[in-house]
Amino acid sequence: MKHRLLVGLSLLAAVGMSACSSSGSDGASGEGGRTVLDVWLMRDSVSAAFQKEFEKGFEKDRPDIDVRVQIQEWDGIGEKVTAALASNDAPDVIETGNTQVAQFAQSGGLLDLSDKVSDLRGASWLKGLAEPGAWQGKQYGIPYYAANRVVVYRKDLFAKAGIDASDITTRKRWIEATRRLDNGGRQGIYLPGQNWYTLAGFVWDEGGDLAAESGGTWHGTLDTPGALRAMAFYKKLQALGDGPKDSDEANPPQAEVMAKEQVAQIISTPGGANVVVQNNPALEGKLGFFPVPGKSEGTPGAVFTGGSDLVIPLVSRHHDAAYAFVKELTGDAWQRKLALAMSYVPNRTTLAPAVAGDPGASAMAVGAARGHATPNTPGWAAVEAKNPIKDYMTAVLTGKDPADEAAKASAALTRAMKSGT
Amino acid sequence: MSVVRERPARRPLVPSPRRPPGPARRPTMSGVWPYLLIAPAVLGMLYLLVYPLARAVLISLQDFGLRQLILGDAHFVGFANYRTLLGDPRFWTVVRRTFLFMAVNVVLIMTLSTLVALMIERLGRRWRTAVLSALVLTWAMPVVAATTVFQWLFHSRFGIVNHTLTGLGFTSFEDYPWLAHGSAAFAILVALVVWQSVPFAAITLYSALTTVPSELYEAARLDGASAFRVLRSVTLPLVRPLFMLVLSLEVIWTFRAFVQIWVMTRGGPGDATTILPVYAVQTALAQQRYDLGSAASMLTVLLMSGVLVLYFRQMFRQEAEL
Amino acid sequence: MSTTVSARRALRRLPLHLAAGVTVLVCLFPVYWMISTAFTPNRDIQSAHPRIVPRTWTLDHFRRAVDADGFGLFWRNSLLVTLGAVLLALAVALGASFAVARMRWRGRRQFMLAVFLAQMAPWESLIIPVYIISRDTGMLDRLPTLTLVYFMMTLPFTVVVLRGFLSTIPPELEESARLDGCTRLSAFRHVALPLLAPGLMATSLFGYITAWNEFAYANFLIIKQQDHRTLPVWLSSFHNIFGTDWGATMAASTLFSLPALVVFLLLQRHVTSGFAAGAVKG
Repeated sequence: MKHRLLVGLSLLAAVGMSACSSSGSDGASGEGGRTVLDVWLMRDSVSAAFQKEFEKGFEKDRPDIDVRVQIQEWDGIGEKVTAALASNDAPDVIETGNTQVAQFAQSGGLLDLSDKVSDLRGASWLKGLAEPGAWQGKQYGIPYYAANRVVVYRKDLFAKAGIDASDITTRKRWIEATRRLDNGGRQGIYLPGQNWYTLAGFVWDEGGDLAAESGGTWHGTLDTPGALRAMAFYKKLQALGDGPKDSDEANPPQAEVMAKEQVAQIISTPGGANVVVQNNPALEGKLGFFPVPGKSEGTPGAVFTGGSDLVIPLVSRHHDAAYAFVKELTGDAWQRKLALAMSYVPNRTTLAPAVAGDPGASAMAVGAARGHATPNTPGWAAVEAKNPIKDYMTAVLTGKDPADEAAKASAALTRAMKSGT
Repeated sequence: MSVVRERPARRPLVPSPRRPPGPARRPTMSGVWPYLLIAPAVLGMLYLLVYPLARAVLISLQDFGLRQLILGDAHFVGFANYRTLLGDPRFWTVVRRTFLFMAVNVVLIMTLSTLVALMIERLGRRWRTAVLSALVLTWAMPVVAATTVFQWLFHSRFGIVNHTLTGLGFTSFEDYPWLAHGSAAFAILVALVVWQSVPFAAITLYSALTTVPSELYEAARLDGASAFRVLRSVTLPLVRPLFMLVLSLEVIWTFRAFVQIWVMTRGGPGDATTILPVYAVQTALAQQRYDLGSAASMLTVLLMSGVLVLYFRQMFRQEAEL
Repeated sequence: MSTTVSARRALRRLPLHLAAGVTVLVCLFPVYWMISTAFTPNRDIQSAHPRIVPRTWTLDHFRRAVDADGFGLFWRNSLLVTLGAVLLALAVALGASFAVARMRWRGRRQFMLAVFLAQMAPWESLIIPVYIISRDTGMLDRLPTLTLVYFMMTLPFTVVVLRGFLSTIPPELEESARLDGCTRLSAFRHVALPLLAPGLMATSLFGYITAWNEFAYANFLIIKQQDHRTLPVWLSSFHNIFGTDWGATMAASTLFSLPALVVFLLLQRHVTSGFAAGAVKG
């Protein structure tokens, strides 16, 4: 027994010691001397059809490159990218959330692409993608696509209540319309208590912010008068439906709630409408979009610009090929196709007309003009890891004193951002 | 089973006389053989546990974040990380909460599982199989699925608990957000951990009960002992070593409960359900302060050993008698 | 047992059976909820009017779970890693527990104490050192790395339990076999090993549950080789930006726990006696 064990152990060890090369992961070169380029994209960030089309097109232009796209899961992605950046054999291009670039850039694991900005015509990039992609004046993340929240509404319920969605251009009218929609078994709006991106938009509308920097340190600013007004508005809106006060839009997925209950509106990216229809095909064609209303006519509501940047790990062995890939995918031709295929906002303002025909994307583009990002500090990642804003929202919605809770939440934000830097 | 019969648990503290040498128990094959036999285990533990542990200790003495993981330029900072932790009032609240969490869980687990074990022993065959199967099913349910289900049960709007309570006329529970209240969230997590832990403990304790020879019960009954007295003077002493082992394992396991809390509340609301492992992961993986996370884990191990040190001493002494 | 009229006896045992019934109910309710959710159409999951028995049933979730990318590969990997870890742990633990249970040697107590201490290992913080060591030895992205980690996670428990099993088997049995001309090794193999089967089963199930469920290491150590990912990663693939496909997750969880359930139920008796034996000597 013992001998077999020892043999087994040493075999295992031997396997470990042997060279770390194995077919696919060895980045050196594929068949016929082609460079194998490993690319990580997130689940659902591109459709399978688009991915195939792009790979084919790109490899036709660059026959020397063999692109291998791997789809990554959202769960544990932060740790996964960390592990990749610290490894000796990282993927060559990684898609990463725009707000996450700063922490990876700060760590020194990303290739500085500042000298490529003019080649990529960076001047017309969406600010909400380009700014978080930069860290201390250097550009690490290249804007890939953006998406922001709009109001997804049920045309049939609006018609029944005699409301024209195109009239809803101010917060005041929005509340009035929602109140009229909210009766009987019908919910005016399904707004879960912890949809903090939506709250952030209201805060920016009021001229406030989630956090501010002074003297080199970041501190939470949820207790400023503007931010408090935003929370009050959120509370008013949230009450016009049966959204749970203690969970966010993913739990349960709000699109599924809209699919099964009489919900007149949700606040979601336009892609959420597809999920609604998937779950309830009877709603096909009955969903419309309008931008989140602002405080006054002519100013749409501020929104959080979500989306992704592409980054190149420093340890990638094919910086040139990786850059060629990034340039192609973020170039105008493919951006137009991507935006249409996925209902995204393209990565530069000049491309906005590309999606004019798509109701969801065009509603989104209105908001995108007033897009904001979360505070650009590596410490923000620590905030999102255990978000005190969510606790704060639930506390206020369940009747606690807003000023007290805001002060507490701001202190928690300050602490989290400090510990993360 | 014979073990229990031969060697009642409560051994005298005076070293017992060695068993006379004979076929029954002969110390055999000494020399190099035992060392060869434990070599794989020892080597495995050295390389796969002690070595990483040593590296973790080193990390806890360095300035080690994401940057150092990627670029590898960590430098030694002595006990600065430990000083940061020990000087953080939040850390101490977390430590107190961890002990509370552990104590409440362990007391509940041990009480309930002892009761369940005693119950199973008294059941007829069919009922016994039913209860044991139910326990086993519970035990095998994936942690993430179990946690999610508990989360649903207590969901403010879609949970069946609020639905039922409201239906029964407790209207104050309509949309009651359990997980938004620190103590309620804490209680739900305790319920979850107890629910998941009782099967192992109960099954183990029950199997220990089955090893108690029935002659002992009969003898006690002949002496006119009451049921309670039989339990106290016959049953409990015999299952004590096992009880202690389960107890110490549960101390370790509840001290290290992590997945349930992380999935359900991430340590919130506020810090209400943050115990040490959650704190360590929050600092290590989420904030990428691997140094602080490591230091927190080392302190956790120390605290845990503190709780179990008595048990270790007893175990060490018992081993000497074999 | 005293002799009483059976009705009176049933009445007397009523509280006991009530307690048993409550235990079964409390244990099974969440399990039932998982399984029934796996069969419930999406629109009835987490609805505002939760129902104990689903209105309609569907197999869609199972279909979706099984159709997920790389389903077969993930099963293969999990199986390989789990089996590897469990077998390795069994083999290593068998040797060690034999030495502890059957032999006298200096350092035995210290060894057992070390094994017990090993149960306290803070695995959540060892992930970074394990990562660094694997990286520096070229072991990232490889299934054997995961196997070794899971092996170490289960080894201490396996040693403690197996050692207890061994001590319940009277050494006389082996000795008589040796009188018949067997070597010490073959006496052990032919006499003690068959008797140990339930113990081996009990411990392998513990190892199985540990290795089968582990996510953090699988996520952190398998980086570029998509083909080397394991089942828990598959479970996480039902999350997307719009939330989680809970029906598919619960279907996956049900499938996921099936092997454990079946083996447990088959071996229930042995498992039961096994832990007792292991623990008595702990």
